[in-house]
Amino acid sequence: MTDVVQITVRSDADIILVRQQARMLAKELGFSSSDLTLIATALSELARNIVEYARQGEIVLSQIRQGSRRGITIIARDRGPGIADIERAMLDGYSTGKGLGLGLPGAKRLMDEFEITSSLGQGTTVKATKWAR
Amino acid sequence: MAEQTNQDSTKSLMEEIGITDREIANRCAFLELGEKDIKELLGIDPVAEAYADPVIEDFYKHLLNFEETRVFFQDRQVLERVKRAQKQYFARLTRGNYDKDYIEDRLKIGAVHERIGLPVKAYLGMYNFYLRNVAARLFDEYKNDREKALRAFLSLLKVVFLDMGLAIDTYINRREQLIGKQQEAMRELPTPVLRVRERLLILPVVGVLESYRAHQLTEQLLESIGTTRAKAAIVDITGVPVVDSRVANHLLQTVSAARLMGATVILTGLSSQIAQALVAIGVDLSQVKTTVDLQSGLEEAERLLGYRLVPAGDKARSDQLHP
Ligand SMILES: Nc1ncnc2c1ncn2[C@@H]1O[C@H](COP(=O)(O)OP(=O)(O)OP(=O)(O)O)[C@@H](O)[C@H]1O
Ligand SMILES: [Mg+2]
Repeated sequence: MTDVVQITVRSDADIILVRQQARMLAKELGFSSSDLTLIATALSELARNIVEYARQGEIVLSQIRQGSRRGITIIARDRGPGIADIERAMLDGYSTGKGLGLGLPGAKRLMDEFEITSSLGQGTTVKATKWAR
Repeated sequence: MAEQTNQDSTKSLMEEIGITDREIANRCAFLELGEKDIKELLGIDPVAEAYADPVIEDFYKHLLNFEETRVFFQDRQVLERVKRAQKQYFARLTRGNYDKDYIEDRLKIGAVHERIGLPVKAYLGMYNFYLRNVAARLFDEYKNDREKALRAFLSLLKVVFLDMGLAIDTYINRREQLIGKQQEAMRELPTPVLRVRERLLILPVVGVLESYRAHQLTEQLLESIGTTRAKAAIVDITGVPVVDSRVANHLLQTVSAARLMGATVILTGLSSQIAQALVAIGVDLSQVKTTVDLQSGLEEAERLLGYRLVPAGDKARSDQLHP
């Protein structure tokens, strides 16, 4: 029984590892297989952003058990450059790189709850939760 | 901070790290941890018992001040359980018998910490915090015999360093295993390019599509289109577990590049889960020909290539059509 797992991400290999861990934790909580894929995809977006823009950071995965409610929370945290304009970063198609600019807004749609905080020069933290149905 | 792990995995952990009786003796000798130390430590055990609770309380107050360690104790129950386990852990330090069972237990605890992702720096920081607090209390307790306090403290230091060495070894061991596994997973089983018919290629992609492999896939596909002058290529992603925006972008670009070379790419094997995720992310695949499975992808390709489709029942005739 694991409640919380924290994983440092710096590379593609770490992203794969994080996704595997998340699938395991979510499966224990009874998430459906399509939800597992949605969670893994959201996580992939957040972890990739960390590797791409902040070089490294941490992903914390926690299982939530509140009464009969089950959920999984992803915290993606880095001390990278931060995001200058969060509102724009959350728009579909906005990318400062060569991406599709769908990672952040996509991750938000994939999860049930989504919060992002960021400050320039300090880093970025995303907290997102998905509840099992 | 301890939780039970199963016996077998710890047994093999002992083997993996190479802990034998000789190795234990060797580690103790290196630390100059001997009978005298054991006596010292047993001598302060009652004192240690008395300071256990307050030290643990201070210890957890400290841990809760930092984000890296706070994440592990979001739940009150977890915190209480971990505190109890930690108390036992510290208590054991002054009980002697630093034998195989002791080592096994320490490795187990190290492995649990590694698994939940407690950073090594936090692990070491915790020992440091503990030692400083204990030093203050020992010197307070033996105000009139500072020599004794120092002797006991130095003996404790040896045992703690024995533990630290073991903890770090479990981290290194796990990391090594992980690297081995990942290397295997990432070892680019290069995606085969199958030429099924004149001008038709199939690329069955299996496994995770990370940037390196995605890049390789593009190169292979475009190169094969060039050499075989293929008109259609089926990229089958039945074996790919996750497609995020980056991988989708890569696929889109590959499709466009192939189109410039005069070939149509058909994406097959998009599972319903992946399709759902892509829709949620907002990836627009409307410019890409997709089919549910390889079979319908083949049919689509044959249509593109101008083959006439013949119902399976008319096998004899279809054989004549495809000499
Ligand atoms: N962790 C982060 N640190 C700094 N900047 C970030 C971080 N995550 C996102 N950003 C900024 O927000 C923008 C939008 O991010 P988003 O993930 O939506 O798109 P993208 O990464 O550019 O493209 P895609 O994810 O579709 O491949 C990024 O281009 C980047 O400028
Ligand atoms: Mg992104």
